[in-house]
Amino acid sequence: MANSLGFGGSNAAGQIETNQTASSTTAQQGYTGPTKVLDEHLLTPASISSLEVHGATNTRRSLLDHVLKPLVEESAHAGTTLGQVLDRIGAATKKLARFDIFREEGFGVFLAEAPRPESAPPTDRTDLDISIRVKEKSRLVFSAGTDFGNAEGSAYTNAVARNIFGGAETLSVNASAGTRTRSAYNATFSTPFNGNPDLRFSAEALRSATQKPWASHEEHLAGANLRLAWLTENSDTHALALSTVWRQLTGLAATASPTVRADAGDSLKSSLTHTFTRDRRDNPMLPQRGYLLRTVSELAGWGPLRGDVSFAKTEVEASGALPVAIPGLGSKSGVSVGGGLRLGVLYPLPSGYSLTGPAQPSRINDRFQLGGPTDVRGFKLGGLGPHDGADSVGGDVFAAGSVNALIPVPRTGPESPLRLQLFANAGRLVALHSRGKAKEGSEGLAMDSATVLKGVKSAVAELTNGLPSLAAGFGLVYAHPVARFELNFSLPLVLRRGEEGRKGLQVGVGINFL
Amino acid sequence: MASTPSSAPNWHRIQIPRPLQRLFDRFPLRTYEPNDLPQRSQHLTSSDIATLYVFSTDEDARIGAPSFNPGCLKWQTLLRLANLQFRILPSTNHASPTGSLPFLLPPRTSPTSSPPPIPADKLLSYAAQQQHTPSFPAEQPQQEDSPSSLKKSQAYLSLITLSLRNAWLHALYLDPCYTALLRRLYIAPCSSSRAVQTTLLYQLRRAAAEQILASSTNKVVSSSSPAGAEAIDEEVVYAAAWDALCALASLLAESETGWFFGAQRPGTFDASLFAYTHLMMEYMPEGSSAAEGRRRTMALGAMVARAGKGELARHRERVLRVAWPGWDGRRGG
Repeated sequence: MANSLGFGGSNAAGQIETNQTASSTTAQQGYTGPTKVLDEHLLTPASISSLEVHGATNTRRSLLDHVLKPLVEESAHAGTTLGQVLDRIGAATKKLARFDIFREEGFGVFLAEAPRPESAPPTDRTDLDISIRVKEKSRLVFSAGTDFGNAEGSAYTNAVARNIFGGAETLSVNASAGTRTRSAYNATFSTPFNGNPDLRFSAEALRSATQKPWASHEEHLAGANLRLAWLTENSDTHALALSTVWRQLTGLAATASPTVRADAGDSLKSSLTHTFTRDRRDNPMLPQRGYLLRTVSELAGWGPLRGDVSFAKTEVEASGALPVAIPGLGSKSGVSVGGGLRLGVLYPLPSGYSLTGPAQPSRINDRFQLGGPTDVRGFKLGGLGPHDGADSVGGDVFAAGSVNALIPVPRTGPESPLRLQLFANAGRLVALHSRGKAKEGSEGLAMDSATVLKGVKSAVAELTNGLPSLAAGFGLVYAHPVARFELNFSLPLVLRRGEEGRKGLQVGVGINFL
Repeated sequence: MASTPSSAPNWHRIQIPRPLQRLFDRFPLRTYEPNDLPQRSQHLTSSDIATLYVFSTDEDARIGAPSFNPGCLKWQTLLRLANLQFRILPSTNHASPTGSLPFLLPPRTSPTSSPPPIPADKLLSYAAQQQHTPSFPAEQPQQEDSPSSLKKSQAYLSLITLSLRNAWLHALYLDPCYTALLRRLYIAPCSSSRAVQTTLLYQLRRAAAEQILASSTNKVVSSSSPAGAEAIDEEVVYAAAWDALCALASLLAESETGWFFGAQRPGTFDASLFAYTHLMMEYMPEGSSAAEGRRRTMALGAMVARAGKGELARHRERVLRVAWPGWDGRRGG
């Protein structure tokens, strides 16, 4: 990254000689050659006389001002050294790069000593003329291709209009059709907030039809969401989204279970979701070192949110990997051990502002699903948890964990994206229910708050009732930059009747594995 | 992507060598009892008696009151006449195996498995099978075994399934007088969201207009208008309904038993007619809405009451007495 920002780029420096008519100065020589001279110069006092940005023809001045004004103002301080100025320019260009409107390879920074007026008193301070050259990315991009999501392949067409109003606003329109998502359309407008590339606001409209073969139905969605995402200084990401989705469960298979039939039809979910991600892995597709922490918290239907479903739902994911040094193989053996843990709870809430009123039990499209080649391997997709006939109907509380060891494939070495994998993973997915009282149709569907609490408690307790459903196996992992591919042989060791284990080979394609 | 459920079993059967198969058979090492189903599912699908899913409200469903949908009411009436023990639950067309309600779910065979749903046209044979009695109530004309009366029955049945149905669809879905009723019965239960309700209302209205246009002869289509609700000549629709009701009233007057075709007990034909006459009288009585004055035609309930010498209104009362004995006609809640 730093290289692409133009520091130390020798060809950029070469261009200066031809482009700049101003006299080349010592500062620039120091910048091209990392010598002792440079070190001395970094400590000399410096200030910015002028700062020009070239090439940002379609970008609003105000956007650049947000990033570059502080740079100029801070450098006006008397004690500023050349080194500080260079650091700040580096930070500013990185910030500009995060707007995603300039080409990464197009950045160039040129420094020149400002011509000093004859009358000015001599100082040892260097006044700098700074010129930042950028290349804007294409404003309109059409693309089409294939995509891998978790356990799904799709073909898409995408149109992106970048920097629409000159303030790094982006409009992205996407249409795709896939193996599971029969059709999906969405349009997203996104803009940095207050000229800050690390604080983005976006508005999205979406419509999709997705097959859910593990529960014999199709779900049609139409909705919109508003989203505010920010990047903290230690590169954690937060996102706060307010969304409204009309869900329609339809297209039931002839063999659909009564549970799915009971949940068929329309519902509107209006929810507020907070997502926190801290990704400290060295490579997300093939982590050898580092950890990932993610939490998703959703509040639906309660209070001013309204809608047809009301619940609080939270999900935590933590995973990590440690390299293992093998004597005789050097420091980078390519062998690593890793583990992951996911937990989730759905808590039905009363609608409106009440906290103690009657709450509706969860629907299939709000409950968690567990199992499949990208989470608990050795089980079919949605293979864990309550099953009504062949349908995986989901649960309100889940816990899943995995341990694995990655070993380089002989004769390919630690740098190759291929690994042998040994794994064991386990999970429990449990539905909330109030035992005993459920059968009487005359009591109504809603549960009072005491029943809900008791139900959630007993569901959580149920997680540790007996061994978790468990599978173990081995396989081959290929970490492509776009997606991770796994081919595993596994056997289920423990399961509940109705749960669908998968004996033998299983292929997993995805970007987020347990 | 990884698991293709349909092909996997075949693949297993063909390819797995015997020693591997023996290994596979040993797993899983331990199997626990199945997971319990979620609360909503237990409540809505685990009953000791069969459940008929119909258009209804929670309150009506609790007391087994007549459904407000003619198709559902017909089958609900027939099942009650057949003395089948069942409960009703509100549902939507999305849930039905045929795409439209009603359908029936027999009781579960175990806590997590159940027999397949019974679509509407198999309901009577299911009821007969459950009670080990010959199919009842049967089609009356079949009892008489006369092709001419079968033809007669079919001709009169088409008065119900075309003329009465079109008038009902037009009144409920397209007549602004009954918008509030339509919203209360069919729209509000789907979602509390205004936007969703508006979309559904539009979709329902368009579907109703298409149904009327598709099922009726050219005469209801006024030549000048394009397709859609505007293309329907409502006077023709209501005139056809009036003619149908008069014809049915006089047909009923021919019968001495009070049931159509002189049958001893009410049958499919009686239930089919009752499904419309009851709902028309219940939801669209004379002077029911403030907008009555603006209407060019009589309310459908009033038509039922006035057709012939009131035979159809009395017929409705009789069916109610037989199928809902002891019910005072009041709604629950």
